[in-house]
Amino acid sequence: MNFLRLFARNLREGPYTEAFPFAPAPTAKRFRGKIEFDAETCEGCRLCERVCPAGAIKMERTAEGMTFDCWHDTCVFCGNCEFHCPTKSIHQTADWHLAHRQEDKYRMVEHGLIPFQVCTECGSKGLATAPAAGSANPPLTAEEFQHVKSLCPKCRGKFMRARKTKAKA
Amino acid sequence: MSSAVTTPGKSVGKSNYTIPVGPLHVALEEPMYFRIDVSGETVNAVEINAGHVHRGIEYLATKRSLNQNIVLTERICSLCSNSHPEAFAMAAETIAGLTVPERGQYLRVIAGEVKRLASNLFNVAILTHLVGYESMFMHIMQVRETAQDIKEGVFGNRMDLGAMCIGGVRYDLDEETIGILTAGLDKIEPEVAEIVKTFKTNGSILRRTKEIGVLAKEDAIACGVVGPVARGSGVDYDVRREAPYHVYDRMPLEVRTFDDGDVWSRAMIRLHEAQNAIAIIRSCLKELPGGAVNLGTKLDIPPGHAVAKAEAPRGELIYYLKTNDTEQPERLKWRVPTFMNWDALGLMLRNAKVADIAIIVNSIDPCISCTER
Ligand code: SF4
Ligand code: SF4
Repeated sequence: MNFLRLFARNLREGPYTEAFPFAPAPTAKRFRGKIEFDAETCEGCRLCERVCPAGAIKMERTAEGMTFDCWHDTCVFCGNCEFHCPTKSIHQTADWHLAHRQEDKYRMVEHGLIPFQVCTECGSKGLATAPAAGSANPPLTAEEFQHVKSLCPKCRGKFMRARKTKAKA
Repeated sequence: MSSAVTTPGKSVGKSNYTIPVGPLHVALEEPMYFRIDVSGETVNAVEINAGHVHRGIEYLATKRSLNQNIVLTERICSLCSNSHPEAFAMAAETIAGLTVPERGQYLRVIAGEVKRLASNLFNVAILTHLVGYESMFMHIMQVRETAQDIKEGVFGNRMDLGAMCIGGVRYDLDEETIGILTAGLDKIEPEVAEIVKTFKTNGSILRRTKEIGVLAKEDAIACGVVGPVARGSGVDYDVRREAPYHVYDRMPLEVRTFDDGDVWSRAMIRLHEAQNAIAIIRSCLKELPGGAVNLGTKLDIPPGHAVAKAEAPRGELIYYLKTNDTEQPERLKWRVPTFMNWDALGLMLRNAKVADIAIIVNSIDPCISCTER
């Protein structure tokens, strides 16, 4: 190795280190960072909670609905939740800015709520989760999706069964 | 740091000392305890003591589902992090009789070889640091940084790729990521060739590594060493060739051996394998078939047991998995390369100079964390 040549090259190109925090550090598009949760598209299947090896995700039934909490200080950024989520309602962003003060450690949480709603058919209370559309054949149209979403689990089942019989006929 | 304790009664001209090294020591990357008996500058006997980073991972594994264990096993070791979930997934696939889609198999090879490239460069860099050649250390670490950038760009993390899942891989390559990969390899390849040249000619490296820490072939076989340590001592064994997995039988794999069994030979094997890894990744990219990369997320692993092995950067890694009808494995056990290799340290360190201890220990690329789990 010609160290003089290397020396000249390094002199020409300057330091390899990033100027962060005085300048932004380039981040890869695929970087697996902070978790983001989308309550709109979540089916409430709780698979993410089950496959998380760190126990960072907690979903709970409360008076308002089903809460979602991902504790960033517990998360190991493995991406298992995103991989197993059928709707990709949970996903890893490229955001890695997670440095925080000690007093903020319990606030490093991604929080979401799937609220309760009143069923548009029968009027009973149910969670406003996205319908489990993966198994629907033919796939649900946008209107059907919204309609099913507004129903309680019982009415959803009824609707889907009726749809299946219709599709067969 | 070490302190010297005199052993009374043995001083015949030269003085005999017992030097404790570790568990925390500047020359050790990980905690390990050596009791070294020296006479003057020469090592008489070494006693190696382990157990400082036992984390109970085998137990933890039986408390987690198979899908969670893919992540846990990746965290057993940092430099071989990809090989652990790889062998674990292979064992689960054997139990369930699953075949990974072809594209997934190619992508598994790519992930494994990217890790090998970075891991081997890291070890060689530490060697130059221990030799005292700091500018070379900085340079190799900078070359390795390009490999780290590949990992971050393609897999999203510098160490834990998160590439494996039971039934295939979790990532896919598109035009952009293939671009990142090839650009990175194009940058690394000539640099590694230069590093090889330096290792062959540079006086300070040659003086500190040639005929140092010799492990004869018979001793290598007797200790059952694996990986670059075995191949550096003339043992012609590589899992990728002896028991090909994924698509290694179609790869331009070149298993090289050296007969000298010294620190230099082991470093040269690692550098060669870094170069070979680049060739293997290139050939994967050329042949990469289309199709699925995994078998989906809803896999059923029935009760059963299986053994799987893979060639981690440090050598042969063996996994044993026993499942029952719960989600958690009944037993998960692994044998890591360092477990086989560190016994040979006793032989390598015999009659070594005190100043060479760190260089010799580093030459087996010890990973204490995965050995003690
Ligand atoms: S985020 Fe995904 S995995 Fe988690 S409950 Fe919602 S749909 Fe299921
Ligand atoms: S990235 Fe991994 S550790 Fe973090 S919440 Fe998802 S599954 Fe859990």
